[in-house]
Amino acid sequence: MFFRTRRLWKKPDRLRSRYDAVIIGGGLHGLATAYYLAREHGMRDVAVIEKNYIGFGGAGRNTAIVRANQRTSENLPLYKEALDLWPVLTRELNFNLMFNNCGNLNLVHSEAAMKASRLNVATAQFHGVESHLLDAAQVKEMEPALNIAEDIAFPIHGAMYHPPGGVVRHDAVVWGLAKGASAHGVHIHQQTEATGISVENGAVAGVETRAGNIRTGRVLISAGGYSADIIHRMLGLTLPISVLTIQAMVTQPLKPLLNHVVSSGAYHVYANQTLKGEIATGAHMDPWPNYTTRNSAHYIKHQAEALGEMLPCLRGVRFMRHWAGLADMTPDMAPIMDGNDPVRGAYINCGWGYFGFKSCAVVGKHMAAFMAGGECPEILRPFHLRRYEQHRLMGETAAVVNYSPDN
Amino acid sequence: MSLMLTCPVCGRRNGYEFRYGGEDKGPRPEEDGLTPRAWCDYVHMNRCAAGPVKEWWFHRDGCGSWFTTWRDTTTNLEIQPPEDSE
Ligand SMILES: Cc1cc2nc3c(=O)[nH]c(=O)nc-3n(C[C@H](O)[C@H](O)[C@H](O)COP(=O)(O)OP(=O)(O)OC[C@H]3O[C@@H](n4cnc5c(N)ncnc54)[C@H](O)[C@@H]3O)c2cc1C
Ligand SMILES: [Zn+2]
Repeated sequence: MFFRTRRLWKKPDRLRSRYDAVIIGGGLHGLATAYYLAREHGMRDVAVIEKNYIGFGGAGRNTAIVRANQRTSENLPLYKEALDLWPVLTRELNFNLMFNNCGNLNLVHSEAAMKASRLNVATAQFHGVESHLLDAAQVKEMEPALNIAEDIAFPIHGAMYHPPGGVVRHDAVVWGLAKGASAHGVHIHQQTEATGISVENGAVAGVETRAGNIRTGRVLISAGGYSADIIHRMLGLTLPISVLTIQAMVTQPLKPLLNHVVSSGAYHVYANQTLKGEIATGAHMDPWPNYTTRNSAHYIKHQAEALGEMLPCLRGVRFMRHWAGLADMTPDMAPIMDGNDPVRGAYINCGWGYFGFKSCAVVGKHMAAFMAGGECPEILRPFHLRRYEQHRLMGETAAVVNYSPDN
Repeated sequence: MSLMLTCPVCGRRNGYEFRYGGEDKGPRPEEDGLTPRAWCDYVHMNRCAAGPVKEWWFHRDGCGSWFTTWRDTTTNLEIQPPEDSE
């Protein structure tokens, strides 16, 4: 009696034979889009079709880091709006999303990278995103546990310091959005796999699922790392994506020693201390595409070695749990959001790699506007799929990423 | 994620000896009349199949051969070419 549980979201009625919009994938992006479709656009009959359970994918596996210090003027405004949305959503959903605004330190390991970071910081500041460049001594002052010695594999030259970022509780976002969507009438169908999209005269006519067929004129494929395979099978589109398993782990709980989210591109490591005291750390991607979501001894060892150099006080500390998920990587490290091309009523949202947690709310907000009105909102336009055939890749990364054959 | 691959020269070896070379997309398109679209398909576009995939590998820490083989991306195991493959 003391712990009587109340469902956060309604178990929906049977799958209806018709919906105004169907969303394939009950991850963060799918739930957020459904929430905004119902809340902002008054769409009455919206279904989220989820093969497993909501939060099964990247939504429940990510390491919850949020930040807005991206590199290009197309990406910065999107991530800034995303970051500003957390407190708004917390209020709107009446659900504690546990935003721990501890700030991020992106470590820099060479003079060349310091120069590149100067550009990054300046672009961020230009877009109103707080970002500073620190030298090694300043980094040490802010994060005394870091090793700024010069005799390690990648000595620390400085860092980009981004105070508005931090960590948000990822499970809470899944539950909060499901609660909010359900309260506005969205049907969340778990244990229901979408198997096909039917197209008539160049427009979406329906969605086939294991629980029956649905008539609808609008469908969004937003199935995290599974999207690329689904988009190819259901719409026949190939995508500039490689799907890789990405691994993460946590240590035993420790007394507070790490004050920020610390990340290092050179070591392929990031770490932050959770409110429970564990060091949550990731995230290495496998060097070849796969959907296994399995950890490997290879990377657990790598992670221990890298952390041992960057944060020597962690030597001998134990990893308690490890897990893995999928990262759907594009060659320009920017996502693909598109719709009505080439099939009217078919919308796609993918390529979020290992950075799709921080953006979920803002994507939901704008994808919902796109789906409700049919017109792509300004802020999403640069992310269309045709940029690749126009050979106008985005500059989120200085060079094409190296799991493709063209490196 | 243990992967073993069969190099046509060296035989079955540990996957970390190899570099992944992308999905097999057939021959490189001819330069004559090449469109930006066709080039994009060749360099960037993938099917990302969860299941059997034919792909290129390079025996980097071995004999240096480039070869194609089949792998199931859901299990990470090298497999025989499926019946209906060309
Ligand atoms: C280890 C790890 C660490 C990460 N760390 C961060 C981070 O610190 N910060 C950050 O911003 N991002 C991070 N990410 C990335 C982020 O988690 C993803 O980009 C994001 O979760 C993907 O969007 P989603 O939540 O909508 O998709 P997912 O949660 O992946 O949802 C996809 C859903 O689709 C369902 N599905 C699949 N096929 C079908 C089908 N046929 N029919 C119906 N449903 C289907 C799946 O069951 C799944 O539930 C990380 C990812 C991983 C794996
Ligand atoms: Zn060989």
